[in-house]
Amino acid sequence: MNWKLPFDIPLVTPTLGIPIEFYDALGIIVFLVHISFIYVLIGSLTAAVIYNIMGAVTKNEKYDKLAYAMTNPTTVSENMGALWGVAPLLVISVLYTGFFYTAILKVSPHILHIIYGNIFGFLLSYAYKFSWHKLENSKGFHIAIGLVALVTFYSLPPVFMSMSNLYLQPETFAYINNIWEIMLTPLTGFRLINFFLTALSFTGIFMIWYGMRMQNNGEKEVGELAVNQGKKWFMFSAPVNVAIMPLLLFMFTPRIAEGLLNSVFIYLPFVASLLLTILFFYLMMRWNKNKFSSKEVLTVSALMIASVLLMATARHGIRVVSFEEPLKLQAEATKSYMEASIAEYKKYKEEMKNAPAQDMSNPETLAQAKGCMGCHAVDAKLVGPAFKDVAGKYASAEQITPSILNGSKGKWGEVPMPIQGVTPEEADILAKWVLSLK
Amino acid sequence: MFDFPIFEMPVIGQRMLMAINAIIHVFVSHGGAVGGSIVLAALAIWANKRNDMNAYNMTYKILMVFFIITTSIGALTGIGMWIHANILSPNAIGGLIRVFFWKWFIEWIVFNFEVILLLVWFMTWKKHADSPQGRARSIKFGVSYAVASWLTMVIITAILAFMLTPNFAGQPWVDPEVFPGKVDYNNALFNPTWGPSLAFRTTSAIAFAAALAIMWTWIIATFSKNPDDMDAKPRVIKFLAGIMLIMVPVSAVLGYWYLSIIPDAAKAMIPTAMMTRAFEDKFDVMYMITIGIGATVLITTIIAYFAPKRMPYVAASMMVLAFLAFWGYEERVREFIRKPYIIYNYMYSNGIRATDVPYLNKVGILKHAVFIDEDKKVLNADKSNIVEVGHSIFQIECRICHTDNGINGLKKLTKGWSQEAIRARLNNLPGGGTPYMPPFVGTDADKDALAAYLHSLNKEGVIK
Repeated sequence: MNWKLPFDIPLVTPTLGIPIEFYDALGIIVFLVHISFIYVLIGSLTAAVIYNIMGAVTKNEKYDKLAYAMTNPTTVSENMGALWGVAPLLVISVLYTGFFYTAILKVSPHILHIIYGNIFGFLLSYAYKFSWHKLENSKGFHIAIGLVALVTFYSLPPVFMSMSNLYLQPETFAYINNIWEIMLTPLTGFRLINFFLTALSFTGIFMIWYGMRMQNNGEKEVGELAVNQGKKWFMFSAPVNVAIMPLLLFMFTPRIAEGLLNSVFIYLPFVASLLLTILFFYLMMRWNKNKFSSKEVLTVSALMIASVLLMATARHGIRVVSFEEPLKLQAEATKSYMEASIAEYKKYKEEMKNAPAQDMSNPETLAQAKGCMGCHAVDAKLVGPAFKDVAGKYASAEQITPSILNGSKGKWGEVPMPIQGVTPEEADILAKWVLSLK
Repeated sequence: MFDFPIFEMPVIGQRMLMAINAIIHVFVSHGGAVGGSIVLAALAIWANKRNDMNAYNMTYKILMVFFIITTSIGALTGIGMWIHANILSPNAIGGLIRVFFWKWFIEWIVFNFEVILLLVWFMTWKKHADSPQGRARSIKFGVSYAVASWLTMVIITAILAFMLTPNFAGQPWVDPEVFPGKVDYNNALFNPTWGPSLAFRTTSAIAFAAALAIMWTWIIATFSKNPDDMDAKPRVIKFLAGIMLIMVPVSAVLGYWYLSIIPDAAKAMIPTAMMTRAFEDKFDVMYMITIGIGATVLITTIIAYFAPKRMPYVAASMMVLAFLAFWGYEERVREFIRKPYIIYNYMYSNGIRATDVPYLNKVGILKHAVFIDEDKKVLNADKSNIVEVGHSIFQIECRICHTDNGINGLKKLTKGWSQEAIRARLNNLPGGGTPYMPPFVGTDADKDALAAYLHSLNKEGVIK
């Protein structure tokens, strides 16, 4: 296989002697929290806009109330989602530094959309929420703000997932050179379908919990609507997902898919699908019920989160299987590079130590050491004039030293001479030497 | 740098790409989050203690502005710093993460508290505003938010200070001759400029935040046309100006302390850092700018303190503008004086470790450039691809600071130079006039190729 891998960072990985399994678990848990918030962000903003439109069309106030209620989870989850996105990246970038940065560089500058696109989305979602009552009489405009925010947030996962698919498959570094080459692959496409469907399912379950909370706080009508709608969100989005999820792992490169087939991770998406199926029937049996007991809420939430956790673990499995070989290759290459480099550096230091001290009263040595010869030669014009020409123009050293000490411009063409880091004594030695070259 | 894929930002260049994000982040994080949290918590305490409900409600309105800006622009450009650093210098940020992983992790935990406390403080403010007990509770959230906010600055300042002065008490933070490098984490953390830079940043951030709050008080009171806001305006502005009257002189003294600890080589870079190369000898202009910024802050603060009711909008916005100029300059100078290094004495600005130089001088800079195609890496027998090879070298060694034909573009910088002149210049980097440039790394053949490429930039008929 044609591997193209960067060297590892030649500093010890600060694991503090804690076994790597700890970091695996840490990575999975922080990712689970992050992705849960992102699911709720995508779903609740979608819900807010949909019910906002339904409220405006049907003139039924309870849709509008539900829509406004959904802007609270949007605000919380956009903040928490961004925040918890940092932790998984921190863990990944300390353990798999080279792969992560290579992927980021390959999808640049488009990857910066996750920063600037996010800022745009945040600001629009705040504008949408905080102008809700002020713009009551211009609903069309208000809904348009929400829609643009929604489109902005929907445009982020394709970018991020492209980066993620690239770094998870280090063999692709050799032939994928920009974001489109990885975004327009079946893998990214199917993972995106899976992502958005899970976001809708997850938000459905969230709405059941949120609706029950509203009912318990006395907002019976809106709460019942939320539970009713939440069930539908889940039941419309889950079936396709159930079919897609078990296939996802087979869509990685043959090397990774084969490795996964020989590991326990390949079963996890099947189990995750099964949990969603159970949840589907559980909700179907409660099709006409808009009031859930806290035990029922707990059951549906647990099934949903367990399914996401299993998918997150499967995702970790991809890293385990995929990175084993390239990490080994990378470690070997880094070791031989660093050994050659350090040996050469030691040799260089030894040479420096044994080299005779330079005689700085010798003007030629001084001119070399101070970098004069970077721009001047004795008898040819380079960047600056030839020293011979300088000697021809001036009569005394006092005319030259100010140009060396303070820089000068306009005397020999348009390129200025910058200030030189020399003492007045050194400038004097240099000026006298230049004059002597006449 | 040579071992990562090349990403070249056209026209504005890598540096400007990062600088845009960095400057926005500094403005918002210092003014809105760290300073803002402290100033607004103080304002809320003060208003509540005097039972001044108009001032207390005004605090909420300013908080809303700060909330919107810090959680969106502030937080995301913070993450953006990291992503931009990945693009700019993966070796440097990769090294920093190996050294500071746990500190960053702790910062992330503190950052959680910061965001959650801000969300709670802001979203429950109105619920708690009606009773004295409620307000006391609300203020507790505000104070905790301020503490968490400041702690995030404590940690990130340590990392910034490390890049300038990585060694503590003369002890190296790592032995570069050992692989893999064992990092002395305490030395890296307790580096000499951490304390002074933190003290200076904290106090000037508080002053900046107070200035921002004054401007927003002015805007909110004027545009809300609410008599309660108009009533609170002079008192709030006077209180905030009082904070500035204390913090501005204190931060000036602390800034002087910080300056005194910076290494001499870095200090010598300050004039160039402030004025760019073209004006580096114009000390008078430099002093004028510094004095201008200082005087603007002082005069507007005095106006705000003694005539808060009549303070014109021009004064309020000039105050903020002066701080923006100040932070812009401060950040530029801090980033610039570290040159030619990105991690002092360890890694050059272009991501090449100082200890790698002798080896790369022997084997050539392109030997380990895995992501560069062979035909742009190895010279043909007839040297027909010398410009392409030179371009690859440019991408590795120069692109971090230079573009070909945009900001700091080499086309303009080498205009009128012969190929021999360029070649001689490469031979003598950094040279006397440009101490901020790293040395050229690579063989003589590499220098020939780069000189050929740079010369081609100004040749007619060569499409670049």
